[in-house]
Amino acid sequence: MFDLKMFWCSFDEIQRGKATDILEWELGELENIFSIIVMGQFIGFPAPPPQITFELLPYMEDNLHIMISKVGTAHDPLGELFSVLDID
Amino acid sequence: MDTKYLFFVGKGGVGKSSTSALTALFNAEQGKELLLVSMDPAHNQCDIFENKFSQKEKKITDKLGIIEIDLDFWIKRYLKDTKEHIKRVYAYQSAFNLSSYFKILKYSPGLEEYALLLAFEDIVKKYDKKKDIIIFDMPPTALTLRFFSLPFITLVWLGELLKLRKEIVQKKEIVSKISLGKNFSIETDKIKTKLEEMIDRNEKLNNFFVSDKIGINLVLNYDKLSFVEAKRLKKSLEDLGIKIEKLVVNRIENENYVNEIKKEFENDNILLFKKASFPLSGVNNLRNYINEYMK
Repeated sequence: MFDLKMFWCSFDEIQRGKATDILEWELGELENIFSIIVMGQFIGFPAPPPQITFELLPYMEDNLHIMISKVGTAHDPLGELFSVLDID
Repeated sequence: MDTKYLFFVGKGGVGKSSTSALTALFNAEQGKELLLVSMDPAHNQCDIFENKFSQKEKKITDKLGIIEIDLDFWIKRYLKDTKEHIKRVYAYQSAFNLSSYFKILKYSPGLEEYALLLAFEDIVKKYDKKKDIIIFDMPPTALTLRFFSLPFITLVWLGELLKLRKEIVQKKEIVSKISLGKNFSIETDKIKTKLEEMIDRNEKLNNFFVSDKIGINLVLNYDKLSFVEAKRLKKSLEDLGIKIEKLVVNRIENENYVNEIKKEFENDNILLFKKASFPLSGVNNLRNYINEYMK
């Protein structure tokens, strides 16, 4: 009985993980776009008035990490997408 | 008391500082509590009043105080506060890497007008309802326009960023609902809260600029260049919903062309300052001008 419950919990967790994989990837992309817009002046994009960047910066540590990690896969966006979709 | 905010705007060299100084002194001598604020980084009020001014109000007469805004002070203070805030909330490594950027950020385009806006908010906070009139001697056209348009432009950006943030928050909630099931809880998104806070602040400023509390005095001389620039400034301010309250024609030698100016600017509310026969510097000379030409 206990094993069955354990199995069900793991199965539920795996299915939930699978269901959110694509959404989480999309979320990461949206966060990255948000950071690029806010910090456009660092990379030569049209930038918002500087006070918007300065005032949001203290709340954007996670966004900075996402942006930096995305730099590594920026040269191969399709590869990243295929790996999310489990396509070899 | 309800405070009226008067802005003297116009092309460089038309006499914004002298007309704002004369208007301030004239009204103060009529018994009104006056504050004259020099917002122009070139600061001419010290030469006109032959005195030294700072960010602390200095009384020139019983009723007239003068302040000179130090833009560098506001830029440095703002960047220092932001840096401290980042250091408090970031992990050590990220804050350490970011600190090198702050050395160059003080040269960011757009910070000058934001510093003016911060100084303006500070003046309103300190002196609203304590003075009858606060007169702002503004910088030349370009910086003045950027100052008045900043809340509007900021709101356009903030509106778009908030839309994107809401989409992110919505997706986060879906992910959290699926992953956690029944244990799902909604976490406040700090960035969204900050964006909403900034929108509120900029809307207040924007509404303030188009309200009756504000009076824009457009200073010009009777010459072609001054005319053309004054018309451009009028149009740009009107596009932002800010109306010109008065036309201030400085160094006037001949009143024949007043009707032409009224017609050209579609404004009958006009103040004339005749060309002085003596230099306009020192309180005594300003008083002499008021007695000779303004009474």
